[in-house]
Amino acid sequence: MSLVLNDVTVSRGVGPVISNVSLEVKPGQITTLVGPNGAGKTSLIEAIAGVITPSGGTIVMDDVDITKLSKRKRSRAGLSIVEQGRMIFPSLTVKENLQLTARTKADMDEALALFPELEKRLNNQSILLSGGEQQMVVLARAFAAKPKYLLLDEMSLGLAPVVFMRLLPVIEGIAKSGVGVLLVEQFAHLALKIAQDSVVVTSGRVSYQGDPKALLKDAELLRQKYMG
Amino acid sequence: MSLAKQSANEGSAKQVFAKQGFVHRPWAPLVLGAGIIVGGTIIGLILGSVTDFGFTRMSLILITTVLLLGLGVVTGTAGMIALCQLSFAAAGAYIVEWMSLHHVASFLGGFAFVFYMICGAAFAMIMGIIVGLPALRLRGVNLAVVTLSLSFVFDVTIVTLGFPGTKTNEFIDRPFGIGGSPEDKDTVWVALFALIVTAIIAIAVVYLQRSRWGSAWKMVAFSERGTASSGTNVRFAKLTAFAVSAGAGGIAGGLFEALYRQGNPTLFGPYSSLVLYVLSAIVGSYLVDMAFFGGVLSVVIPFILTRLSWPMFIGDMLFGVLGIQALTTGSNLGEDIRRGIRRRSREAKLAAVSEVLHDTGAVASVPIPKGTGRPLLVVKDLGVQFGAVKANSNVDIVVTEGTILGLIGPNGAGKSTFIDAVSGFLPHHTGVVELDGVALDNKTPSNIARLGLRRTYQQDRVPSTVTVGAYAKFVTRGKATRAEIDEVLDFFGCPTYYTPLSLVDVGTRRLIEVATGVAAKPKLLMLDEPAAGLDHEQHIAFGERLRQVPTKYGVTLLLIEHDLDLVRSVCSEITVLNFGEVLASGAQDAVLNNPEVLKAYMGETEML
Amino acid sequence: MREDFGPPAHDSLSRYFPYTLQERTEKMIIVNGFAGLTQGAFFAIIGILLTLMSQLTRVVNFSQLAVGMFGGFVGMTLMMNPDIQLNIWLALVVSIVISAALSGIIGWIIATWLPSAPISNRSAVTVAALLLIVSTASVLFGANHSNFTPIVSGNVTQFTIPGGQIVFVSQSLVALLALAFVILIASSILLKRTMFGVRLRAISDRQSAAELIGVNVKVLNVGVWVISGALISLAIGFVPATISNDYISFSLLIIGGSAAALVGAFKNPWLALVGGLLIGALQGVCSAIPQIAPYRDWVVFILILVFLLWNQRKEVWDVAR
Repeated sequence: MSLVLNDVTVSRGVGPVISNVSLEVKPGQITTLVGPNGAGKTSLIEAIAGVITPSGGTIVMDDVDITKLSKRKRSRAGLSIVEQGRMIFPSLTVKENLQLTARTKADMDEALALFPELEKRLNNQSILLSGGEQQMVVLARAFAAKPKYLLLDEMSLGLAPVVFMRLLPVIEGIAKSGVGVLLVEQFAHLALKIAQDSVVVTSGRVSYQGDPKALLKDAELLRQKYMG
Repeated sequence: MSLAKQSANEGSAKQVFAKQGFVHRPWAPLVLGAGIIVGGTIIGLILGSVTDFGFTRMSLILITTVLLLGLGVVTGTAGMIALCQLSFAAAGAYIVEWMSLHHVASFLGGFAFVFYMICGAAFAMIMGIIVGLPALRLRGVNLAVVTLSLSFVFDVTIVTLGFPGTKTNEFIDRPFGIGGSPEDKDTVWVALFALIVTAIIAIAVVYLQRSRWGSAWKMVAFSERGTASSGTNVRFAKLTAFAVSAGAGGIAGGLFEALYRQGNPTLFGPYSSLVLYVLSAIVGSYLVDMAFFGGVLSVVIPFILTRLSWPMFIGDMLFGVLGIQALTTGSNLGEDIRRGIRRRSREAKLAAVSEVLHDTGAVASVPIPKGTGRPLLVVKDLGVQFGAVKANSNVDIVVTEGTILGLIGPNGAGKSTFIDAVSGFLPHHTGVVELDGVALDNKTPSNIARLGLRRTYQQDRVPSTVTVGAYAKFVTRGKATRAEIDEVLDFFGCPTYYTPLSLVDVGTRRLIEVATGVAAKPKLLMLDEPAAGLDHEQHIAFGERLRQVPTKYGVTLLLIEHDLDLVRSVCSEITVLNFGEVLASGAQDAVLNNPEVLKAYMGETEML
Repeated sequence: MREDFGPPAHDSLSRYFPYTLQERTEKMIIVNGFAGLTQGAFFAIIGILLTLMSQLTRVVNFSQLAVGMFGGFVGMTLMMNPDIQLNIWLALVVSIVISAALSGIIGWIIATWLPSAPISNRSAVTVAALLLIVSTASVLFGANHSNFTPIVSGNVTQFTIPGGQIVFVSQSLVALLALAFVILIASSILLKRTMFGVRLRAISDRQSAAELIGVNVKVLNVGVWVISGALISLAIGFVPATISNDYISFSLLIIGGSAAALVGAFKNPWLALVGGLLIGALQGVCSAIPQIAPYRDWVVFILILVFLLWNQRKEVWDVAR
């Protein structure tokens, strides 16, 4: 029982942006995916979520092949994604944003328990929130759907590190509740620290897969990957 | 060894094909169009003389062709919805009839009618401009609403007032002394007159579509932002398309007068304009031959229905169904036919073009340009806010003339926002932007581009509907000769002048965007991740070329780039943005070794 | 072009709203302005529905009135048929069902083949649909048809204004106005208070993000089309018998409705209501002044152009293009 990518290849325009990537996200664990800009991290996430169709390979969630399913069906099957760029619904209030995915009052309360500071903002239009608060809404919204697997694409984008550090323990908590988390991040160190498994992608290929602790220790290797 | 040599030979053979394979055939669409129109008319006239099809219907086919040719410019080429083509025809007809009855230019003899037609077309164009001015400012579908309203209002007026000759029941003289009867002996000459006029309009439309205006129409249909940042006013591009379309409508109105000698309001109602729009979408009437085919359909189908004694509206039902099909699939008959014919040769050409891409032959290596020391772009205290989120704040950047400034930073740091603000797409930004001493803050994007500040985009803004050369001509706005364009294209390893962009992949299109941007000789060219989509070796080759640009072409560069290898190899100075603010700025080494910058890239906050 | 199509040319003023046909004197300005409100209220309903559809499903539906017209004629045919003689209320129900279904089909076609196309591409399809519906109606119901029988007729009340003229308040006006308000209030409650509405607004904000969280965009879009088709059919039931209803003219009343929607820039349904009433009243007033009467449509058209010029004085850039 896990989210498995087998030899996934994604092509865009010129050629493959992701070539033969295989990885596994286990329930209750955080798998961190890092890599320099342009390595194809977002394309990979979009392929899992169904925004783009892979040109090769399969994506299997809990033994069900979801490679050909629509975005909506994947979501119904238990996959939640937090896209890049704080995808709140700007004209909706915070509460309405959460209602979209929360099926019961209990789901809603659990999601709000992640970020008690949202309580007093419930009836505000979400466009009026700060960047950090918007990201909290998006994360809470994804969690309220009670997903089996949660994909997080560069949550730190445009957020101050302090704000991002507020989100990290929440992500850990979500994983502890049994959700399999795929965390895609530029902030490699922070993201690797909370991970149980890690994957490094460079130029569309997996260049490292395994224990995040080992990667953290080999700072020089990581640094080279990022700064060239 | 020999194998490698052999494949190299094959490769170069393909390159030769790609470099010379796209022959310029300016006459091709005209020959096709003229052949079909003239051939079709001859067949029609023969049919007309042996059956009861008659020459009136042949004339109507040609008149509809003119209407559709005009409509094709605005709906096909420029991608807008215009629902008042027959109002322009009514206006043209009205003017011709009025001038004719008042003998305004009878001293011109047989040519008087031609003069009236030109006046009618001019009037229709003016009407188009007056209506288009407010409507075209609006995006997309509002034009449809306004033009539909116009066609309604105009129709009511024409019905109320009648045509000039209606009240007195006067009929005007046909051109060149053609007899006035509705009999075939006279209408055959009307058909020939219509044939000549149609041919002239077809030539004019083909010529305009190839001109810079035509490129602007195709560009505006593809990307309004891309059009504006190439220095062309979006509204001007739309307005010219609309005016040309109206002019053709006016001409068609004159032809109606030549045929019927008196206007009849029922010809020009809004419903007819709707039918014409749908017909235009079905056939793809921006293509000359297809416009004629549309004319044939609109006359022959009712003719057949009449012979069968079937309800006339069955023809419109057919158009409705075909129209829904065409508009939902975004294709049309003309393109489908052409695609079917060309498919085979297209694959061969496609392979050849992609070979050229990898021709990244070495160029002379030059050091990183140091510049003249004179500040070219000065940005002070720039701020941009979206809702509660500050995308840029207190950004100060100076670009020195003759250098390449690298603008780097993590995703979401506000780099593209910075370019958008400087190039005029975010008029609500705060702070001051000056190019060479000229303030840019209240200027429109097209004005800024003309003042010498150009940009490229992360997303593809190069339309696939034109050739490389037509795109280059459009972007350079007469600032570069043909030889200069060829030279720049060759320098960057782009496909040659006559290569259709539809055969070029997205990565190469972005290279073409950079090359033509350089060829336009702006003072400053801002490149937004130009090398995304190129592989590592191409990156290096691209960098070598970029380094030469300031001295070779006199164009200063601002480069947004993720690949730090590329930045390191071309930029003397670097500015780092983080959370919308300048994190570091200065000489390359100092910036790249700044621990703050490392942190921004890798998030080593635990090192704080 | 062909010689044979287009509506028959009779007096233009009588073509659409013949009750303003009588050339009146300047004293009749208020009376006529009030009379114009009935037509204005109808424009307002069209404008409100167009605005809501444009906001919620990204389409300007040119076929909207044609859809209602088609359903209306099916109902009328069943009512007039000597063998069936359907009760007027049942006929109305039939009309509503047919219109809603027809509208839903068009919506489904657009949602299926152009799910993320720009608004102008989606709207273009409705132009072809308008053509198809009008021509089909002409073939099916023939050239000789009776006018719609309105559900309501006569006047609610009448009062005398200073100067001695009598102003009539027709049942049609009251019914249409009431329907306009019901649509406005119900839609705002629906959008704010129900999950259906919240989902619709989410789609309107960010369609692809909505899909990613499992919102069924297609079903909701088609739902809006169905509701809109039903409502326009209901509204047509209240329109006075005097409105001429040859297939083409009636379907083109969409023009007045879209003009009303333009007043609210296809964004604000309340302004569409105001716009519709203003346009109706203005046309009524103009028809009372003999010098202007023949050009009353131009007055409205030019006012809208001027309004657009003022409203759009700043260049706006799309996020995407």
